[in-house]
Amino acid sequence: MAFLGALGRRLAMLFRGTRFDRDLDQEMRLHLDLKARRHAAGGIAADDANHAARRAFGSPLRIREESRDAWGWRWLDDVAQDLRFGLRGLRKNPTFTAAAVITLALGIGANTAIFSVVNAVLLKPAPFEDLDRLVMVWETDRNSGTTREPASVPDFFDFRVRAGSVESLSALTATQMNLTPVDGEPVRLAALRVTPSLLSLFGIEPLAGRRFEPQEDSVGAADIAIVSNSLARRTAGSAAAALGRAIRLDDRAHTIVGVVPDSTDFGTLQLLSAAAYSRSFADRGETTRVDVWIPLRGDPKAQPRENHGIFMIGRLAPGQTASSTERELAAIAATLEQEYPANRGRGVHVEPLEDVVLGRVRPTLYMLLGAVALVLLVACVNVASLLLARGAARAQEIGVRRALGASNARVLRQFAAEALVLTLAAAACGVGLALAGLRLLVAMAPANVPRLATAAIDPRVLAVSLAASLAAAALFGVVPALQARSVDLQSTLKNDGATRGAVGPGPSRLRAALVVGELALAIMLLTGAGLLIRSFWNLLNVDPGFRTGGVLKAEYQLPRSRYPVDFSQWPDFPEQHAFTAAILASAEALPGVDAAAVAGNHPLDPGFPTSFRIVGREEEARAAGWPEISVRRVTPGYFATVGVQLVRGRLLTAGDSTRAAPAALINDATARRFFSERDPLGAQIRLFGTGATIVGVVADEKSHGLSETAPIAVYLPLAQAPSADGAGVLLVRTSGDPVGAATAVRAIIRARDAAIAVFGVETLDRTVSRSVAERRFATLLVGLFAALALALGAIGVHGVLSHDVARRSREIGIRMAFGAERRAVLRLVVGQALVMTALGVAIGAAGSLALTRVLATLLFGVTPHDPATFAAAAGLLTIVALAATAVPAWRAATVDPATALRM
Amino acid sequence: MRKADIPPGTLELLILRTLARGREMHGYEIAESIEELSERVLLVEEGSLYPALQRLLAKGWVKAEWGATDENRRARYYQLTKTGRKQLEAEVSRFDRVFTALARVIKST
Repeated sequence: MAFLGALGRRLAMLFRGTRFDRDLDQEMRLHLDLKARRHAAGGIAADDANHAARRAFGSPLRIREESRDAWGWRWLDDVAQDLRFGLRGLRKNPTFTAAAVITLALGIGANTAIFSVVNAVLLKPAPFEDLDRLVMVWETDRNSGTTREPASVPDFFDFRVRAGSVESLSALTATQMNLTPVDGEPVRLAALRVTPSLLSLFGIEPLAGRRFEPQEDSVGAADIAIVSNSLARRTAGSAAAALGRAIRLDDRAHTIVGVVPDSTDFGTLQLLSAAAYSRSFADRGETTRVDVWIPLRGDPKAQPRENHGIFMIGRLAPGQTASSTERELAAIAATLEQEYPANRGRGVHVEPLEDVVLGRVRPTLYMLLGAVALVLLVACVNVASLLLARGAARAQEIGVRRALGASNARVLRQFAAEALVLTLAAAACGVGLALAGLRLLVAMAPANVPRLATAAIDPRVLAVSLAASLAAAALFGVVPALQARSVDLQSTLKNDGATRGAVGPGPSRLRAALVVGELALAIMLLTGAGLLIRSFWNLLNVDPGFRTGGVLKAEYQLPRSRYPVDFSQWPDFPEQHAFTAAILASAEALPGVDAAAVAGNHPLDPGFPTSFRIVGREEEARAAGWPEISVRRVTPGYFATVGVQLVRGRLLTAGDSTRAAPAALINDATARRFFSERDPLGAQIRLFGTGATIVGVVADEKSHGLSETAPIAVYLPLAQAPSADGAGVLLVRTSGDPVGAATAVRAIIRARDAAIAVFGVETLDRTVSRSVAERRFATLLVGLFAALALALGAIGVHGVLSHDVARRSREIGIRMAFGAERRAVLRLVVGQALVMTALGVAIGAAGSLALTRVLATLLFGVTPHDPATFAAAAGLLTIVALAATAVPAWRAATVDPATALRM
Repeated sequence: MRKADIPPGTLELLILRTLARGREMHGYEIAESIEELSERVLLVEEGSLYPALQRLLAKGWVKAEWGATDENRRARYYQLTKTGRKQLEAEVSRFDRVFTALARVIKST
């Protein structure tokens, strides 16, 4: 209690500020006057009395200081003084201050931004309960070797009934639906068909309305939907107002029964992207929000086991793990294989949902974190080097202070205060940089990064970066003061040119060591960046098998209501065929269009695979376990439009019409795998229950992406194999302006049917570019970091050498006076730089060997220990280091011996 | 009598004892009081007086108020606080003990 009182009094004194001094002065003056008066009364003259009084009084300044000290705030005054002085010192050296602050700010800012992203995406606990107990139950296909396949509806129902190790097994399938609003153009929405338990599995609480009831999932029940908050607001103004309203989805009215928040994203995009197929809107490569949830209405009796279209998610029962669950479900799958021939070769794979959602992104993010930590290290080292240089130059100042009686502690504290001011200024700038950097990252990042929208500056990271910088600054700000303890005061104060500022070779060597470290770190970053750049370059140079420049695509989906799909009439779907013919004719008539085609999928869309047989080789297929084949439905003009070459036989023509004999083309991969010793032409291929004659072989298209091998594929004429779901894409090859073509193409489709949503209108160039967005992002960032490290390293080299040359200018003058040529002096300086660089490269090489292994998963076409890349990095660093040496070397070579000697 | 320095550490005790006489005084009055009572043997150096007064203020043993002297000049008047009075008792008894011990040693044969 007494302590609090004392503290209160002390704080009150602190806030009195200058009044304290004035009050004290007034008191002392009164004392003096009264004393003088007494002396005068004792018989001394007034002036002498005053004088005597004052002399007896003592120094008022000292009294004032001692009085202030009584309150215990002396340390605060000292610190304030140190900070003020530090600030002044920094202001008088603007280049040093700017360099140090910018360097640190870059390090702090970059680190904070990247770590905030990593935190939001990977480290923060998920917003849903039990996310760590949720698992994806994939099916696998032993014949195709795929491990992440969707399941069939009957399989799902069987698993749900028979499995005990997983609870609340739910299913979802992704789809896109046409929304026909009351006014405005039809829009394409991302939608999920779900079983009722899915929403509660994720703990998704509706903002308004309710979740689905179990009975609403039965076939024939009324059409209902749950919508996102955005959609609800767009339709009815608010979530509450949307309840009970009807929206037209795929030409059918659905009643809205619930509204969920926009952020209801448990990684849908990532989950779908990981699947072997049925990825639906996830393949568009954009950050798509799911706007509509619809009951799945899976009927195990009506859906065949051959159709695999739904994904299963469940929660692990208490005490179960992913592996124990997989064992139980695998046993069930084996039983199903026995019971149903359609399930031959199908197993299960259980994977924690977290791994599915985060798995692809984790390595990239951790790598970025490592890279940016290296950058911070380089920044700290650079600042340390700068501080050392400045400290060495202040040896004289330190000498004066110590001569005046400053204790070592006081001098150290002064330097530490300056380091503190520096770091705080850098931190302020760093926060600004971090905020801007984070916004940039979120905007630039590829669509695959989950939860990125929730990334915010993490104060913990800021604190850590700040602490690291502070430690570096304090340490290296203080080292010169420490080393100055051993300086001979007399010679320092004498202002002797030979020893002025000379604190011995110690700090110089330390600085040089720091720069070597910097260069080593820069090499590691450069090598990493180099590897990533080469991978990216390799990827871009992959021949996709189709033409990307000048080809525009426009996707659409024909709703069943107006384009009926009657399988008893297959392949005669007159409405679909008429539509295709009409838009094809209009497209070909457009000016600037060289070729046009319609297909079921565009070249980078993998589509659905299906099982197939070659007539006469059924036994072989069963024994060897033939994989499924990709099915491409195309009009005859496809190959010319997209630039796929014919290898053998003939291309599809208009003669392969609906009523003509079924024909098919296979791609080269298929021919090589199944017809290596036979002639494919004339063989009969059977799929979807019908057969077709193989009439030609075409070149491969990399429809699974540039980094994957081309899948085996069969091309069927669209007229003989229309899309069962009405999906289609119009492709045009144009020599004109793609933007104008886009508008024209949209107009063609709308002109034919105004109620259809046209989407995905872009050139194939852009589609390909988007498919490598992730790699591009990682490469760009690491490249940026490497450039940063290189620049900082160059500054470091320049700084050390400049300082060295200045320090040794007298020595150089002597050498030159004795006849040394300029060239020898140059060699001296450049030699120093080369030694530092060589050491840096050597250490960096060791570091690279260790660290680049981390990059292995992100590389393409280049090994982590690729010597050429490392050599290039080393070469670049050497060139930059030598360039940084230019100015100091020049200065050394142009030293005038006369001036230097006279110094 | 020759003037002597105030033994170190006793100035605060002297100030407290002076103020204990009940009246509030300003700095000069305190110094005068000590010098008079000690018959001009103990001379208070102003350089030690004011810091000592601040220390006492910081510890809360005295409190100060601004007032006016007879000639209407502004002066800071000090007086003892309750805590100060208690502290004075403690200090006086300690001083007695030390003084008695000192006297015994010096006066012994």
